[in-house]
Amino acid sequence: MRKAAGHQTIPEWLADHLKGFMDLEQRKLGAREEVELVYIKSLTDAELINRFVLTPFFEMNELKSFEDYLASFPGTTKTDKAEQAKESVLKGFVSITVKDSTYLFEAIKVEASSISEATSEAIVQGPKDAFNENIYTNLNLVRRRYKSDKLKAEMSVIGNMSQTVVAVLYDEDRVDSEVLDELKKRLSNVSIDILQSAGELEKELAGRHFRLFPTTMVTERPDRVVFNLSEGKVAILIDGTGFSIILPSIFNDFFTAMDDKIQLPMVGWFLKGIRYIGLLLTVTLPAFYIAVTSYNPEILKIQIALLIAGSRATVPYPSFMEVILMLLMMEFLTEASLRLPKAIGPTATTVGGLILGQAATQAGLVADVMIILVSAVAISNFVIPLNMMGFTVRVIKYGFILLATLLGLLGVVVGLVGLVMYACGLRSFGKPYLRGFALDYMSKKRREV
Amino acid sequence: MVKYRYFFFLFLINAVINVVNYVPRILIAYRFKGALMSIVISVIIGTLIIFTATKLYSRFPKKGLPEIYHSCMSKPLAGILLLLAGALWYMAGLITLISFVDISIRYISPDISRLWIMIGFLVAVALSSRLSSESVLYGLEITMLLTLPFILYILLKMLINPAFNWDAVMQVGTYFMHKPSFPSITAATFIFSGYANLVIFNRVFHPIKRYRVWLLGVLGLIILLISMLVPIGYLGTIDVERHVFTWFSAADSVRIGLFIVERMIFLFYFIYLVLSLVSVIIHWHVCLELLKGIGSVKKKKEGPQMKDWGYIILFSLVALFMLSLEQFSINLLGMWFLNIRFYGEIIIISSLFYCYQRNRRARI
Repeated sequence: MRKAAGHQTIPEWLADHLKGFMDLEQRKLGAREEVELVYIKSLTDAELINRFVLTPFFEMNELKSFEDYLASFPGTTKTDKAEQAKESVLKGFVSITVKDSTYLFEAIKVEASSISEATSEAIVQGPKDAFNENIYTNLNLVRRRYKSDKLKAEMSVIGNMSQTVVAVLYDEDRVDSEVLDELKKRLSNVSIDILQSAGELEKELAGRHFRLFPTTMVTERPDRVVFNLSEGKVAILIDGTGFSIILPSIFNDFFTAMDDKIQLPMVGWFLKGIRYIGLLLTVTLPAFYIAVTSYNPEILKIQIALLIAGSRATVPYPSFMEVILMLLMMEFLTEASLRLPKAIGPTATTVGGLILGQAATQAGLVADVMIILVSAVAISNFVIPLNMMGFTVRVIKYGFILLATLLGLLGVVVGLVGLVMYACGLRSFGKPYLRGFALDYMSKKRREV
Repeated sequence: MVKYRYFFFLFLINAVINVVNYVPRILIAYRFKGALMSIVISVIIGTLIIFTATKLYSRFPKKGLPEIYHSCMSKPLAGILLLLAGALWYMAGLITLISFVDISIRYISPDISRLWIMIGFLVAVALSSRLSSESVLYGLEITMLLTLPFILYILLKMLINPAFNWDAVMQVGTYFMHKPSFPSITAATFIFSGYANLVIFNRVFHPIKRYRVWLLGVLGLIILLISMLVPIGYLGTIDVERHVFTWFSAADSVRIGLFIVERMIFLFYFIYLVLSLVSVIIHWHVCLELLKGIGSVKKKKEGPQMKDWGYIILFSLVALFMLSLEQFSINLLGMWFLNIRFYGEIIIISSLFYCYQRNRRARI
């Protein structure tokens, strides 16, 4: 009896293979010690084990009825494979060996933050919930808002070490089957050791090494996931992260806040227009400044040209140096206020703001106009609702600065054309990234309905 | 597969870009010798050509010129025809590019060398022309949607300006009944040749039964009249011929009061820079695809291939070499092109008709 792996019993085999686990717990129950428990303390819920394993064991007289009792739990499996037992124990199961049969009892303790408000994509009105780190909670958040039997969720495991559970969600009726097939193909090709965040998976899925724009959306809002599911897109939930991936995503999706649906149509369009203007400004303003001061001052109205020239009179270096210096300062400020602990955060912004805004101009190191411009660039960058796109745009503007330094205004325009054409060449899971604002998407849906 | 509206955009960009490609210059040269009558005739001819061509292309659904030629001709003949067609499209792009380098030097950036400007243009254009046909069309759509409002604004601003001399336009109008001249007819039909890009883009269009050709005719007539008469209204009936880029000189005479940019020329220049670059991208994309179709039409790997780079480097080197041309030769080149293109289009259409007949007979 009791020989599962070679000459060892399963508990012995487990003890052998999990040597060196400080939190490994092995227990023998009963007078004749015919029941053996093996589990990892840190992964399991002691309360569950006490209440559903230990107490019943001592209350029951017969070993047989205890076995039946154990087997009746949903999530409990019977096994005779030591390998499977080990994997389960590592996930937070309790291996309970009763005489010669081993049961794996689910007692996973999940440490997750509770559902809180979305922080990275705040909105004014509308649902405030954000995903948390538990995939089942997240599924719950989605299902509660999408009460349709067409909503399918396919689970799989990714990550050689982390064994992260990943759920692919889609509406069976509306989903584009090409996209779904492509996604499944790519998911099966993913091979990484540790999967901890949506961004990592996004990079693996996109496949292309050099990309300027994100081609899938990473969001923490359940309502955005639900809305996109209803549009026929696919969402991926990942265990252990509060962010999910939505695909395919086109350029316009990154400029859609969930507010737009809530507002009156005219207000929504206005807001979207504001965001695109913000995009244009943040990308081109520094480049235009360089071009206009160093190459083509005659383009501006005479008053404006004189104003800029006047405020630049004391500045000792060429305009592109000025722009790069100030923009870098602003990047430092943004990064610093992002990473600093809450207690010292305001200091950085105050000191930085004062020095950048006042002292630098008074010292004559930087033109007044430049300060206005840097602030405008920074603010208009924050207008973009999705962070991934915001970060991308932050980087792109330096490309434009380079072009303006080399070619002046010509460079800026050439860069704009190049950028548009580049984005047109991108595909997100076979869907054109910049097709006339996804009109065909909608018309396809209508045709099918 | 893309929608029908992209056909309009293809037509429109070619029609709008005529200003850079010396069309107004030729029309103005013949303003007392029948240019107006030529415009009317060319509208009729252009509309008929578009009508015939779209009818023919709809007989070859999802096929580009290389596929069509290889289906009905011997390999060497198809190769030669495709090479010639490719050269034609290459020239179309090249002329736009060179004249725009010239315009940039003259009107905007005299302190940047021609070489640098050309390199800047070439990088954007060459990289973009490798994209897939659909991508190029999407890019076309976006740029057209972004620039069209500005073009309309510029036109409106130019037409309601008190400095616009309607008398000069009227005077040229009195030469309407003059006998038309052949060079101005061929030049004017250029604005209708946007359809010709179907040689490649027909691959990605849904087969469409009905192209609203009469609309294109009306639009073409308006655009031709505007591109010939507006410079005359600004620069005068006689002086207008002294300007090389008549439209840019005309746009330079307009002031925008309520904007951070004072002179119209800058707005006009940048809008046309965008349009020209996109137009060159389209032309060179077509040229690239035609050249790739010379050997065979077997579909290889999807997406851009390494072989493209060879062609693109060749395109760029020739373009850099052409920089050494002085303005007189560029003008001459532009005028030749406008003539050759006309015959080229007719050859392509008749060859299509031949292929259609032959394939039909083969099927029976």
